Amino acid sequence: MTLGREFLKALWQNNAVFRLLLGLCPALAVTTSAENGLGMGLATTFVLVCSNIVVSSLRKVIPAKVRIPSFIVVIASFVTVVQLCMEAYFYDLYKALGIFIPLIVVNCLILGRAEAFASKNRLFPAVVDGVGMGLGFTLALFVLGSVRELFGSGALLGYSVFGPDYQPLLLMILPPGAFIAMGLLLAVMNKFDARHK
Amino acid sequence: MNSMPRLILVLTLITAGAGLILSLVELVTREPIAEQRRLETLRALKAVLPQANNSPDEDTVQLVTGKDKRGRDVQRTFFRGKQDGSLSGVAFKVVAPDGYSGNIDIMVGIDPSGTIAGIEILSHAETPGLGDKITLPSFKANFAGKNLGNTDWRVKKDGGEFDQITGATISPRAVVGAVRKGLEFFRDHRDEVLAENQGDKP
Repeated sequence: MTLGREFLKALWQNNAVFRLLLGLCPALAVTTSAENGLGMGLATTFVLVCSNIVVSSLRKVIPAKVRIPSFIVVIASFVTVVQLCMEAYFYDLYKALGIFIPLIVVNCLILGRAEAFASKNRLFPAVVDGVGMGLGFTLALFVLGSVRELFGSGALLGYSVFGPDYQPLLLMILPPGAFIAMGLLLAVMNKFDARHK
Repeated sequence: MNSMPRLILVLTLITAGAGLILSLVELVTREPIAEQRRLETLRALKAVLPQANNSPDEDTVQLVTGKDKRGRDVQRTFFRGKQDGSLSGVAFKVVAPDGYSGNIDIMVGIDPSGTIAGIEILSHAETPGLGDKITLPSFKANFAGKNLGNTDWRVKKDGGEFDQITGATISPRAVVGAVRKGLEFFRDHRDEVLAENQGDKP
């Protein structure tokens, strides 16, 4: 099992949102625009990589009985670091993502990777897995956010695409639109995979 | 159970390490965060107090507007804008609790007589694409030049003079209501707000 294949597996075949259906709460809630999806994805990636690093390097020190509380403490600390830094240096993004940043703590993707991969592997593979999983999550949130923003407000990354005459499909920005877009994207991906098997 | 001390030791060390890192990060980011919040207030004050060349956030009056559920005083800060030393306007923050989702925070700027110079939406959680149009300049422009005497403070749908937004009446209604209450409070406490020599810093 080479590192490159491990990375691709984490990024694509085991894509957190589209394949494992993990971390759907933030994936559905914040993706009202491509920018929000990207910001949330990158914040999650940062936390995931950092927690994988710490969990992997401490995997021989942490006794199995207290591993879950230890992981949670590690994850919660990094989330708080992200939140403080974002508020200090990216204030607009901080206001847009709002209450969803603390919720990264309970994103089961991060605890899942700590438990299933980082705590059983050496440092370098754990970093690769964290980057791959994180970027896969970011990609999924970005695609979901782009689709919803494109149809919901006729723009992409804030730039108007369809011109001022476009009548936005508001549903796509509202919560039901998240489920609809998610379902359609899943259908497209399954079709794509079935054809290439 | 002979591993119990080890469990305690490891978990203690991990949480202590986490605490140490967090306090360091907090130390580094405290200044920039305070600065960001100050800048945000200042931006809003600049927008609603066009005729001021002092720093309104350093010339404030605090008044008690009521009690909250636990019986503690609710304070409202009045920012006083001055042009070359003489009072040119007052800005204050009002909260509309009856928006479509969550509170709407609004900064209101008025001239000393109580006529609105401008309003600015500070924060809200209204529906994107519908209620969030209260942040559009075309909606905010509704308020300029209005005061308690010359205007019926309701949205047009309710028989008043403020344009509602197509598909979203609740958000504009909440904003109009909150601004009106703010103006009434100012009318009743005008002397205290405008009184000199109590420009205490917040």
